[in-house]
Amino acid sequence: MRLVVLAALLTAALVGAEGASAQAPDRSPHSEAALVTDAASVRPGGAVDVALRLRLDDGWHAYWLNPGDSGLPVRVAWTLPDGVTAGPLRFPPPSRYALAGLTSYAHEGEAYFLTRVAVPATAAGAVTLTGEATWLVCADVCLPAEADVSITIPVGDGTGRTADADAVDAARAALPRPAEGWTAAAAATAGGYTLTLAPPDGVSLDGAMFFPSEAALLDHATEQTFRREGSAWAVELASSAFADTVATRLHGVLVPADGPAVEIDAEVAGAPAAPAGDAPARSAAWMLLLALGGGLLLNLMPCVFPVLSLKVLSFAQGHDPVQLRRTGLAFGAGVVMSFVALAGVLVALRAGGASLGWGFQLQSPPVVAGLAALMTVLALSLFGVVEIGTGLASASARLDTRSGVAGAFGSGVLAVAVASPCTAPLMGAALGWALAQPAGLALLAFAVLGVGMALPVVALSFAPGLSARLPRPGAWMETLKQALAFPLLLTAVWLVWVFGRQTGVDGAATLLASLVLVGLAAWVVGRWPAARVGARARWTTRAVALSLVAIAVALVGRVPAAAAETGAADGWEPFDPARVEALVADGRPVFVDYTAAWCLTCQVNKRTTLRTADVEAAFVRAGVVRVEADWTDRDPVIERSLASFGRSGVPLYVLYPGGGREPVLLPEVLTPDVVLEALDGVGTEVASSE
Amino acid sequence: MLRLPLLLAALVTLSACGSSDEAPDVTPADASTAGTAADTSGAPVPGAAAPAFTLTATDGREVSLADYRGRTVVLEWLNYDCPFVGKHYGGGAMQALQAEAAADSVVWLAIVSSAPGEQGHFPPAEMDARTAEEGGRQLATLLDADGAVGRRYGALTTPHMFVIDADGQVVYNGAIDDQPSADAATLEGARNYVREALAAVAAGRAPETTRTQPYGCNVKYADA
Repeated sequence: MRLVVLAALLTAALVGAEGASAQAPDRSPHSEAALVTDAASVRPGGAVDVALRLRLDDGWHAYWLNPGDSGLPVRVAWTLPDGVTAGPLRFPPPSRYALAGLTSYAHEGEAYFLTRVAVPATAAGAVTLTGEATWLVCADVCLPAEADVSITIPVGDGTGRTADADAVDAARAALPRPAEGWTAAAAATAGGYTLTLAPPDGVSLDGAMFFPSEAALLDHATEQTFRREGSAWAVELASSAFADTVATRLHGVLVPADGPAVEIDAEVAGAPAAPAGDAPARSAAWMLLLALGGGLLLNLMPCVFPVLSLKVLSFAQGHDPVQLRRTGLAFGAGVVMSFVALAGVLVALRAGGASLGWGFQLQSPPVVAGLAALMTVLALSLFGVVEIGTGLASASARLDTRSGVAGAFGSGVLAVAVASPCTAPLMGAALGWALAQPAGLALLAFAVLGVGMALPVVALSFAPGLSARLPRPGAWMETLKQALAFPLLLTAVWLVWVFGRQTGVDGAATLLASLVLVGLAAWVVGRWPAARVGARARWTTRAVALSLVAIAVALVGRVPAAAAETGAADGWEPFDPARVEALVADGRPVFVDYTAAWCLTCQVNKRTTLRTADVEAAFVRAGVVRVEADWTDRDPVIERSLASFGRSGVPLYVLYPGGGREPVLLPEVLTPDVVLEALDGVGTEVASSE
Repeated sequence: MLRLPLLLAALVTLSACGSSDEAPDVTPADASTAGTAADTSGAPVPGAAAPAFTLTATDGREVSLADYRGRTVVLEWLNYDCPFVGKHYGGGAMQALQAEAAADSVVWLAIVSSAPGEQGHFPPAEMDARTAEEGGRQLATLLDADGAVGRRYGALTTPHMFVIDADGQVVYNGAIDDQPSADAATLEGARNYVREALAAVAAGRAPETTRTQPYGCNVKYADA
């Protein structure tokens, strides 16, 4: 072998005038390998493409970088002169071979595997590259093959083409291209992934095939059927039986039925683990429509309704319609921009690697405390204890001034701030879905949510003759204002409860004391209003109020956040992934309740279903180990576990039926029937025929 | 005290939010997998019960997996003429592992799913001769000429290894080691997953690695 190589090198040197030349190919079973290049010379400091050319006998194939169910990829181990470097082997797009149900990704006929070889600036004379190529050649049987391959390229001006140049050009052109102009997104599903690709205009993915670059990622035998979704295409991909975890990226090559192959690298985002058939219903347009509806609905939330109804009542005070519209639009802009800003912060944090889901605001005790204080102060202002500025929530907001527009924008911002504790518990899961989309779509979803929320107020501001139809302002407005304070206080109570879950009963008491101090500060400011007292009194009241607030902040700030209660009640174990895994590996049925104190849906499900006697008894009968994953506080372990189901928010209900069967996801809104039905058949042995 | 308003608020909202949750009552985990001939989606994942089978051994005995309930069982998909199998038998590595297993009362069953006329298929007497020639130490070699058992287990390659514990649950499914190559030089320093799994089962633990992508020749199944 060595002799042959030497002889070839000598021959090459002798015919060096011809330019680059390859050695005689080394024989291997049913195939032969050689190194070829298109460049007749290489410049010092330059680079050339060198290709391993495999010629395979008819009916025999060699394997792609991911061989599929069996086989080994083509490899080259290089021996290179000092300073010469060779890049990774670049594989041409593979073909799919199904043999008696096993699937391989391989090459037939003549295949070129290119490598970029860089030569140092000091190179002179000629550069000789040698390598040991190994591959597996298979028809119905498989034979390992190897060859020592070599090529000598003269160092020169880098011009001139070899006899192989056309073939190398063609091979280069056939390589998978970077996906310029494409968008690729992937989402985890119950059995694998949904890959959604938006190709540039005019590219059809009908009959396309996605070849994953890793073997233990997808089930290779599963047929791939691309379906059209608007301007994009989606395909369901089944997980490999040998995949331990949910992949974070889907990387591979897409080969359209006709047209060039494209490299795909899609991040796997969390997505509701819906079965394949439901995916079209989750098209972007549908989700945006739902976001709009959700936004509209937010107006009815106890935290938002008072603010908005007062905003509308302020219209009643009879104003110029143009001014009224301007105010309405300013309010709308405030709402939408606040939502987008909030979502932007979240998207940016997530892009920066923080594992956060929607509802993250409420995982921070200081934020919860701040919102509770905000609710309290707003309530006090509605009671008339204190008048807040240009009437964020005030019914007497002046609409006829420039500050009226700014104030309207401000009340939009405020409306979002007061709405945020309501969005998290009620829409956490839906917004979690939105966050799983590409950043642009995620921001759009939040913007649409804002539009939905602003819509009633903006629409009213455009309604002709509105002020005429609204009741005259009068004493009744004061009564209504005071009445509307109570829902705000209720919201504050709930936030105190969340804070208490995060910090314990002492923390909750401290927060309540702080709220009293904040109330005192508000009373001081309201009792001696700036406009009616002298300069000294004004400064005194401000100093007193500020000190009170500072004390309140200091008190809450000193509450240790770590003293959280673990939520595991009787019969429920706290979440431990290793324990769950061990139980599941033992074939035991396990139910995991991913929940959070601030998640209203979770609390409702708990009270109406999970903690009812019937359901608890059914769990016990079926021998199900019940686990509660409490996400009230940030917890990266739970975060990761949620992500493994493609979620970024709670609630999530996972039932491992036992016996090694795949986990089942229950809907986010539970009824006892749903759970009881899911528990049917749990624990029974997997049917196994002979 | 909180319950009522919380419930009311939630009900109002859920009536709308709920519609965004298209999750069905029960999600079949493998709904999206197509039923192709060697579909591995039905293959036993670690933790699942090993599918029962009865096959005829080279000595004519009927061998059932159920016969060995209470003992640890290794299933080895075998094709003596596959170079990857040759890597493990050529230097005695597989035989050594089989002997270790036998010493620990582990039942080692080699299963040949090559169809008649395909590589690796031999009549019983010839198969025994090959085993004697290779010095194979398996307890029995089972003939699965129609590939039914191989397909039920999702056996892809030779070798493809399964370790089944005394309770009849699959604890390992995958490659024999971490060196996907037919080159015997890669045996040295390789991490043998089957040896690890057997040690873990003997110690009453779950193996650290429970599934890997198997490598080797494709199983020479009869055409489906």
